[in-house]
Amino acid sequence: MSTRRRVAITGIGMVTPVGNDTATTWANLIAGRSGAAPIAWFDARGFATRIGAEVKNFNVESSIADRKLLKFASRSHRFALAAGEEALRDAGIRPEPSTCQRWGFSVGAGMMGVAFNELETVHAHCVRDGEFNPDGLLSPEFPADPVAFCRSQTNAGLALLTRHFGTQGYATAVHTACASGGQAIGTALKVMRRGLVDFMLVGGYDSMLNPLGLSAFCLLGALSTDNDTPQRASRPFDATRNGFLLGEGAGFLVLEEWNAARKRGAHIYAELAGDGNSLSSYRITDSHPSGDGPIQSTQQALADAGLTPEGVDYVNAHGTSTLMNDRSECAALRAVMGGHIERVSVSSTKSCMGHLIAAAGAVEAGVCALAIRDGIAPVSANLVQPDPDCNVNIVRGESRRMRIRAALSNSLGFGGSNSSLAFRRPEDVPNT
Amino acid sequence: MSASRRIAITGAGAVCGAGLGVDAIWDAVVSGRSAIKEISSWDASRWPVRLAAEVTGVDNRMLVEDRKLHKLITRTDLFGLYAAGAAIQRSGIAAHRETLATEAVPQFNDRSGVFVGSGGGNYRSNYDFFPLLTAAGGDLQKFGRELGENVNPMWLLKILPNNVVCHVGIRHSFKGTNACITNQCVGGALAVAEAAEALRASEADRAVVVGHDTPFEPETVFHYHRLGLMSPDTLRPFDRERRGTVFGEGAAAVMLETLEDAQARRATILGEFLGSGCTTEAAGILDLRPDGDGLSRAIEIALADAGLSAAAVGMIVAHGNGTRASDASEVQALRRVFGDNPPPVTGFKWVFGHLIAASGLLDFVLTLNALRQGIVPGIPTLNSPDPEFGSFPVSRAPQRSRSDIALVLCRGFGGMNVALVVRADAAPAGQ
Repeated sequence: MSTRRRVAITGIGMVTPVGNDTATTWANLIAGRSGAAPIAWFDARGFATRIGAEVKNFNVESSIADRKLLKFASRSHRFALAAGEEALRDAGIRPEPSTCQRWGFSVGAGMMGVAFNELETVHAHCVRDGEFNPDGLLSPEFPADPVAFCRSQTNAGLALLTRHFGTQGYATAVHTACASGGQAIGTALKVMRRGLVDFMLVGGYDSMLNPLGLSAFCLLGALSTDNDTPQRASRPFDATRNGFLLGEGAGFLVLEEWNAARKRGAHIYAELAGDGNSLSSYRITDSHPSGDGPIQSTQQALADAGLTPEGVDYVNAHGTSTLMNDRSECAALRAVMGGHIERVSVSSTKSCMGHLIAAAGAVEAGVCALAIRDGIAPVSANLVQPDPDCNVNIVRGESRRMRIRAALSNSLGFGGSNSSLAFRRPEDVPNT
Repeated sequence: MSASRRIAITGAGAVCGAGLGVDAIWDAVVSGRSAIKEISSWDASRWPVRLAAEVTGVDNRMLVEDRKLHKLITRTDLFGLYAAGAAIQRSGIAAHRETLATEAVPQFNDRSGVFVGSGGGNYRSNYDFFPLLTAAGGDLQKFGRELGENVNPMWLLKILPNNVVCHVGIRHSFKGTNACITNQCVGGALAVAEAAEALRASEADRAVVVGHDTPFEPETVFHYHRLGLMSPDTLRPFDRERRGTVFGEGAAAVMLETLEDAQARRATILGEFLGSGCTTEAAGILDLRPDGDGLSRAIEIALADAGLSAAAVGMIVAHGNGTRASDASEVQALRRVFGDNPPPVTGFKWVFGHLIAASGLLDFVLTLNALRQGIVPGIPTLNSPDPEFGSFPVSRAPQRSRSDIALVLCRGFGGMNVALVVRADAAPAGQ
């Protein structure tokens, strides 16, 4: 415990609905600008929800020159490549032949491997009179696409990323729905502490803004249907909230062993100080209204970081803007923070970015690091009528300038996996 | 390493084409009975690849008694839940929990983790949209409008890659640290490593670890075949005539506990986890380095983690997927680590095919049986070992393990490699 390795965040990269890089994303989150609009990527006019938070004017070629590699990259893989590149550039360090075996990779990967048009192609060739006939695949007319097959594999993104950046140490891809990004970072922290690697690229990427992904959430009734007021649709903690806003994107961090980062004079945003990970084991879509599940992950993250509620100044909530999540999460925060709850500033940046699903926790970890660096708790936009069941100190109206000694980021997933991460301001890290 | 807690394996469960239950599968292994046969789940009679090791004669109620769940999750999840339940049952941990004072139970549950290597999304799940695609006739607006009439409203929840984590948690009241690893073939093996590390680091006191997958469906078989990865006949690891792999399906699970806890409650100890290593060759999705660099590094990391030299390893359960490139580079990796004198090597995929995300964990479970009996099972489909490999200790006949320590290897797309080191804990471990 006393000899445990400390982990520094030295680079951040983001591709989000409110900006195609970290600086733009952060500026828009501080200003409370929404990335929501009617869905433009495909014709969503027939769906119950026709709005989303899309990544806009994204041009991967501006940061990734390898055309052959890009052929194998799906939309979300491209977000990941660009965000990973930005994180490394920001950190000012890259895997080299002499260090690549000491670089690890951990990603929260989106679950959708097959593009809609690929499904349409199989349907066109294999479904007759409502019956699926596999022999259609064997017909000479079937446009077999081995590249699409490669793209569809669960670790396709990880394979592309490790190849492009050349990391040869530990490598993993995880998926626990909306907790994926947070759990990927938690895994990375553990791998760093074990001493298996000295550097890690860690993050998440996802895009479910396609006909299948939108269908999946429309069927569940999980999305806001405020089609006429997209920028108001995501309003976490508001009494009138009616579902989440589907976003897309990627977030990546560069992690380094603390002393090595200091030694090379790296800029350290924050310490990645603690990880909490629990399973609600209640219902597939919800945690218990008491907050059981998220309570344990939050407590663990604090304990793991050597923090007490007294030391926490900001929480970047999961805050999806669904009825159940926000209520259960606030109950958990009240239970954990106790008498400090009035003092701790809480916001959900999903109010602007929407829900980036497997990427959410990774981008929001980056947000916590930026919040600590700048001493700004970003606003929880669109909160007009606070829900008495979400009675926490929400950053309302505008972003708050404040000292943030430590921050927490929650990611709570379908399936009941909960991830809480703790971040500490470099000035508050004891000298080692 | 020296200060960290020791990890015992106290339960195991598995289902695959070779049987329901670890004992049935082990019996197939030692009696040389392969479950690879003609595909029956779809008409593959006109297909260039007609073989797989399907789970047949097992109805859903034998896997999971609760019928309500059958419609809420997919086949791969049912396999995973079965294996997890069997491992938990075998460990006696649930019975032990019932002996605890009521107020100690929540803490016990919060310290019980779930780690899963999941096959994740597959093609078939999306076929639930075929009726809607037919109805919409290419009109996306119509597709959106008629969605509710054509697709199960719970569709997303049915196909979540992390369903086994969720439902194992709910069914067994495990609420601790958890992971769902979607790293293709190495998912299950990596789940063992991560669970063991969580126990070593005191993030949990016990964890059930599951690997599950159902890879053989027409589109996957089709693409693997076109990439030249599928065998048209059988799976012959390390053979001169090896022609590719064959798919299987199923799940495997183990229950891990701290050795201290396991001994305190007098649990049957099936083995001890000693170490793991994970690397990537970073060569891309399909490429493999011919020199086996990634695998040899994973083995070296795992041995160092276990605090062992290569000479301590008594037997090796190879990945041995039967493809030209993978087997050849695996031999190269073993040569790099073990030189001219590797311990006996075997592989199990000739029995039940390649279970992809579940493959490493199923191999791990069977390795525990092999170690307990000191037997390195033979590979009956091995007609003539590839002369390119020189004298390499694979054989049709069973061999003897040199010690009670085994190395289990698992490799996958993305140049991923995982090595696990495990010991049969037949002797009472005290120190």
